[in-house]
Amino acid sequence: MSALPNIVDIDTQLATQSPQEILRYALETFDNIAISFSGAEDVVLIDMAAKIRPDLQVFSLDTGRLHAQTYRFIEAVRKHYRIDIDIVMPEASKVEQLVKAKGLFSFYEDDHKECCGVRKIAPLRKQLLTVDAWITGQRRDQSPGTRAAVPVIQDDKAFARPDDSLTKFNPLANWTSKQVWDYIRDNNVPYNELHDQGFVSIGCEPCTRPTGPGQHEREGRWWWEEATKKECGLHAVNIAK
Amino acid sequence: MKITMVKKVFADGSPCKKCGEVEEKMRAAGQLQRIDRVVIADEANDQSEGMLLAAEHNIDRAPFFIVERDGQQTEIYTVYFRFVKEVLDSETSEEEEIAEIMNDNDLDFL
Ligand code: SF4
Repeated sequence: MSALPNIVDIDTQLATQSPQEILRYALETFDNIAISFSGAEDVVLIDMAAKIRPDLQVFSLDTGRLHAQTYRFIEAVRKHYRIDIDIVMPEASKVEQLVKAKGLFSFYEDDHKECCGVRKIAPLRKQLLTVDAWITGQRRDQSPGTRAAVPVIQDDKAFARPDDSLTKFNPLANWTSKQVWDYIRDNNVPYNELHDQGFVSIGCEPCTRPTGPGQHEREGRWWWEEATKKECGLHAVNIAK
Repeated sequence: MKITMVKKVFADGSPCKKCGEVEEKMRAAGQLQRIDRVVIADEANDQSEGMLLAAEHNIDRAPFFIVERDGQQTEIYTVYFRFVKEVLDSETSEEEEIAEIMNDNDLDFL
């Protein structure tokens, strides 16, 4: 599958459209496309997509450290929508090496990058080699500092096969958490029971905690670290002369 | 083939850490001599050559590499390990590649 004609132009067109319209475009443009489902409120993508195309490809990254509630939820979603969900696991030898060298909770001492690299990113990379496009639940409001520029469609150069292209869709980019939850309630979408226990953002059990009123959802993840700063962006800055 | 590397300087004049790291890696691997030109994208000056090249090619990150081959479409690489593999025909380790992916992309939603 080759790159789309002009991602920037398509992004401009799609940016004003609803998540359902963006999903329809994605699912009708690409045959070999998969939804990445984290076991949290990104379930709305499955609900929307199932109404457009029943033969959905969905995968979930099983880091081995998810909450029991999340495993139950993934199973409930599988049954509810009658879909296959590929459970993607890290390479056992890599996890063993990490645990042997640094223990089971290295992320509290270093940071989450090494563990996430082994348990999430390496398996995700392998999975994405098998598709032409993927769909995520990434939203701009999840981390205002770093996600100010989440486009609805991206040419994903980081995960593309060598000498090939991969397209990434973020249909919820412009939705707020409230819009997602309104959709869940209005459409009786099943949701992870952890949300009723104060978890806004849900990731691995050791790296996720409930957040209180007024706290940003990012404060519920890797709270012992400073929010990740990416410094590779290129932005002209207006300097007062 | 002509290769241009565009690296960034922050608006306050400080160098971009990642650009420096990439340059250092390339120096250590003897790859720097394959680069024909190094151009600066000065965030304080949107008319600097690097910023103009970034705008022309719709690039919003640095460093990046412009690869021009006779009779072929110009290619832009923003991911260092892809540039190394696909243009310089060299290898990088999986650990390095994953570290680059994690450093440059917001994957906290996963
Ligand atoms: S979220 Fe925590 S436990 Fe899960 S892969 Fe990342 S560092 Fe490891």
